[in-house]
Amino acid sequence: MSKIKAENVNVYYGSKQALFDVSIDIAEKEVTALIGPSGCGKSTFLRCLNRMNDVIEICKVEGSIKMDNLELNSRKLDVVRLRENVGMVFQKPNPFPKTIYENVAYGPTIHGIAQSKEEMDQIVETSLKKAALWNEVKDRLDEIGTGLSGGQQQRLCIARAISVSPEVILMDEPCSALDPIATAQIEELIDDLKKEVTIVIVTHSMSQAARVSQKTGFFHLGKLIEFGPTDKIFKNPDNQQTQDYITGRFG
Amino acid sequence: MSEKPHIVKSYEEQLQLLKDTIVKMGTGVEKQLENTIQSLVKKDISLAEKSIKDDELTDKYEINIEEQVVNLIALRQPMAIDLRETVVALKVSSDLERIGDLAKNISKRLTKIGTDLPNDITKNFEIAGLKASKQVNAVLNSYLHRAKDTAENVWNSDEEIDQMTNSNMEAAVKHLEKNKNDIQKVTQLLFMLKNIERIGDHATNIAEQVYFLITGDYLEGDRPKG
Repeated sequence: MSKIKAENVNVYYGSKQALFDVSIDIAEKEVTALIGPSGCGKSTFLRCLNRMNDVIEICKVEGSIKMDNLELNSRKLDVVRLRENVGMVFQKPNPFPKTIYENVAYGPTIHGIAQSKEEMDQIVETSLKKAALWNEVKDRLDEIGTGLSGGQQQRLCIARAISVSPEVILMDEPCSALDPIATAQIEELIDDLKKEVTIVIVTHSMSQAARVSQKTGFFHLGKLIEFGPTDKIFKNPDNQQTQDYITGRFG
Repeated sequence: MSEKPHIVKSYEEQLQLLKDTIVKMGTGVEKQLENTIQSLVKKDISLAEKSIKDDELTDKYEINIEEQVVNLIALRQPMAIDLRETVVALKVSSDLERIGDLAKNISKRLTKIGTDLPNDITKNFEIAGLKASKQVNAVLNSYLHRAKDTAENVWNSDEEIDQMTNSNMEAAVKHLEKNKNDIQKVTQLLFMLKNIERIGDHATNIAEQVYFLITGDYLEGDRPKG
């Protein structure tokens, strides 16, 4: 079932067009990987899904992006509410310079989700457990989040994202700064999270896209060149440009 | 799809080496098979002995290809056409090794029973053997030139060898009924005929792999059987 449906999305940074008529169906509770060379528009597209492009003044988004029939591109949309529902994890782990507990409790606090200290404790514990970090930090929740290892910080950011129970999580190269063990932990987490959440991940690692996703979209020069089941894309893509890219024949 | 070279030259070279090794192995196996058949045609047992000896090289090629494939998977993680190239090389080398083995086996039997054999049966054997050689040659060409149609032709014409094998075996049994003293030679010949049929099957396996390599799809339907 489709969770997000984008139709003819065009994005401009001033006079420069970054995305051209991108149409894509992102399935619910699946992992969709977006791949492509640097500057191809995959992150731009990802940022359309929680209106992160709004913070760039010269950026203009056209076309329709619907999440469960809610038009994300509408001016009337409550963007804060949208970002509660569509969480985001970035390339570099970016925990707040606060305690581990506060990092996870931040979202539920500003959105007024927890009614009591006990309820907040429960949300923090559940989020950290879902992010597979609880066992490592349960005895030091009052320590500063930025003191954790890179992989732990990234899982803390995921715990922070899931603390407000989003339906979609966007990940922009979440493992590019992590070692293979931390990467495997994040990938295991992605596998686990997709039972409840729709995940869209931008990655430069072909093998990571192949490992974690069910659908893959290949972007090039602002266009979605090919989109389909991940095994098909990596075994026998229809498009020559896709094949050239994933086999390292590009350029 | 016509392929551009890889950005990383050493990867391109490794894949090229893999293809070249398959072609070299295939050429060797073709020669082995030719020597085996010609040994009977020319009544020259030294050709059969050469085929037996050359099987050592065929086995070495198979091990070498397996090492190359394992290295490519471990170190390059091939994708799409490169993945098919790698996996197909492994399977094709295994079929070529079996063809080499079967040629060796025929040659060994020939060295046991000699080339002075009942003419009616050896004629049949020659015809089937040459047909199998042609199939092996055609399928190797389809691999070399990425010729999908040639691979399909090989796949479709295997039943001719199957039919030849069936009628040759019947003929051999009939010969035996009339010439009971030929039992040892004819028994060996029956195995040799069966080996030719198996060589045809391996050529058909390779045709399936070549088709998969080129298209990414599997040949559909049951194999035509004689």
